[in-house]
Amino acid sequence: MALLEVHALHKEFGGLKANEDISFSLEAGELVGLIGPNGAGKTTLFNCIAGLHPVTSGQILFNGHNITKFNAHEVARLGLARTFQVYVASGDLTVLENVMVGCFMRTRSRSRAKSRAEQILKDFKLYNLSDYLLSELTVAAQKRVTMATAVGTDPKMLLLDEVAGGLNPNEIEEIMATIRHIHHDLEITVMLIEHVMELVMNISDRVIVLDSGRKISEGDPNTIARDTNVIKAYLGERYVREHAGELT
Amino acid sequence: MEALKNAFDFSDFPRTDLIIAALAALFLLMFPAFPHSSFAMATMIQFLMFSLYGMGWNTIGGYGGQVDLGKAQYVGIGAFTTSVMLIRWNVPFWVSMPIGMFFAVMWSFIIGYPLFRLKGHYFAIATIATSLVLKDIFEVWDFVGAARGLEISPIKFKPPDFLHLIFKEDIYYYYVILGFFFLGIIYVNWFRRSRLGFQLRSIKDNEDIARSLGINVHWAKIKTYAIATAFVSLVGSFHACYIKNIEPEDTMSLDISILIALMAMLGGAGSLWGPIIGASILIPLKSYLKEWLGAQAGLVGIDLIIYGAIIMLVSAVEPRGIWGIVERVRRRKRR
Repeated sequence: MALLEVHALHKEFGGLKANEDISFSLEAGELVGLIGPNGAGKTTLFNCIAGLHPVTSGQILFNGHNITKFNAHEVARLGLARTFQVYVASGDLTVLENVMVGCFMRTRSRSRAKSRAEQILKDFKLYNLSDYLLSELTVAAQKRVTMATAVGTDPKMLLLDEVAGGLNPNEIEEIMATIRHIHHDLEITVMLIEHVMELVMNISDRVIVLDSGRKISEGDPNTIARDTNVIKAYLGERYVREHAGELT
Repeated sequence: MEALKNAFDFSDFPRTDLIIAALAALFLLMFPAFPHSSFAMATMIQFLMFSLYGMGWNTIGGYGGQVDLGKAQYVGIGAFTTSVMLIRWNVPFWVSMPIGMFFAVMWSFIIGYPLFRLKGHYFAIATIATSLVLKDIFEVWDFVGAARGLEISPIKFKPPDFLHLIFKEDIYYYYVILGFFFLGIIYVNWFRRSRLGFQLRSIKDNEDIARSLGINVHWAKIKTYAIATAFVSLVGSFHACYIKNIEPEDTMSLDISILIALMAMLGGAGSLWGPIIGASILIPLKSYLKEWLGAQAGLVGIDLIIYGAIIMLVSAVEPRGIWGIVERVRRRKRR
C-alpha cells in the first residue's frame, strides 16, 4: 500500500486553477522530486497535502487515512511534516527552542523534548549553533534548522519546499547530505520541491513534473531529463522545434 | 514531579538577574518595616496588582503575540463576583475568588472562540469592543449594583478578617497580594517553558509553521487566553476587597485594559520580568500624575496622553520593551 496517494486533486483560488487533476502516489521509503517552472502549482500542491489549503475536489490518502479534509495540525500529528520555502525568522526562539517546538508534538515533558532536540541537533551537526537566534544564521543553516525542526515531530514523511534555493554550491552539497541523512539513516520518505536541478536529479528516485497546475510527466530522473514535454515547459516550444535533432 | 521542578527552575537566567531578583524580593518582603507614607503603601499594592495583571496579559499578549486590549472585563467579573457574593451571602474571599475565576474563564471561552478567528489589529479592536459591551451590561444590571456599583461595608466584619479579606490596615492587603505576586512569578516561570508556552511562541513567530508542527493554533490561543483571564480575575477579586467600593465605570474602563497591556509592553512582552519592570515604572508614574499633576493643574487626562506616547515609543524603538533592549545588549556582548 502506498504511503501517500493523491487522486484527481483540484485546487482553485477564485477562478484561478492552481492545481488541476493531479494524481500520483508515493511508496514508503521513496525520495521523490517535484519540479516545474515558477507558478506551476508546486507549493499549492504541498499546501493542499499538508492541510493548509482546503482542496476544491479530489482525495488525499496518507498512511491509510483520508486526510483530504484534515487541518494542518492533524496532518502533522499523523506523521506528515513539511518545511516552508520562506522562513520568517522574526521571533525570539533560539535554534534549540525551535527544534524543541517540533519535539513537543510527541511529548508533554520539557526534559524529553529538550534531550530529543539536542540529539537531533547533534545529528544534523547544528549543535554548536543551539543558542543562536534563527535570524543570526546563514540562510543555509536556517534551512537545515527548519528541517531539523520538522524531523523533531518524528514524521513518516517529509515535504521539503525549496531547501536549496539561493544557496552556493558548497551549501547545496551540505543540504544534499542532510536530505540523504533524513532519507537513508532516519528512514523518512521525502518529497521535495526544488529548482536546483543538480540536486533533484542527483538524489531523487523519481521525479514528478508540474506545469500550469497539471502533471505533465513522471519518471526516473534520466527519463525526465529527455522528456520533450518537460523541456518544452522549461525552455519553450521553439527550443524543442529547433533542437529536434538533438533531443532523442 | 517535573512540572513543579520546572516551575522553580530559574537556572537559564544569568547570575546577575537572579541576584537583582533576590534583592528585589527581599525589599518587597521588608518594605512594610521601613518608614513609609500611606500613599507609598497604596502605590506598592497597586504595583503588585498591576504586575500580576501584566503577568497574566503577558501569557497571551507577550508570549503569544495576541495584543489583547480587553482585560478590564475580567477585572470586572472577578471584582463583581466577589463583591456580590460577599455582600449578599457573606461568602468568604477564598470561595468567591475561584468562583469568579470560573465565571471569567467561562466567559473567556465564549468570546475567545469567535475572537481568535481574527488576527492582529482586528483582534485587538474586538477585545476592546467586548470589554466595553460587558461594562455597559454591568452598568444597567441591578443585581450587580448597576452604575452605582457595589460597596462593601466593613461594619459587619471584625478586621482583621482573613476569611473575607477585610482589613483596616493596608499592610495585610500588602502581604496577601505579595503572596499572589510570588505565586504568579512561579506560575509564569513554569508556563514560559511548558509545551503550551513553546506553542505560543511558535504561533507568535509564524502561524502556518506552528500549524504544520502539529499545533492546534486556535485551541492553544483559547487555552492561554483563559490562563491570562484567570490571573486578571483573581486580582479583580482582591481589588474588590481592597477598594471596597467598585463601579463598572472605573473597574472595567478602557484605561484599565490599556494600562494592563502597557505594563508588559513597556517592560518587555514575552519575558518573565517584563511586566514587573513595566509596573515598577508605570504605577509610580500613574500615582504621581493622578495625585499631583491632575489635581493641581487640572490636567485630567494627561496620564492617557503619556501612555499613548509610551505605546508609540515602545513600538517604534524596541517592540520587546525594556527587557528587549537588555537582551539585545547582552547578545551583542556575547559575540
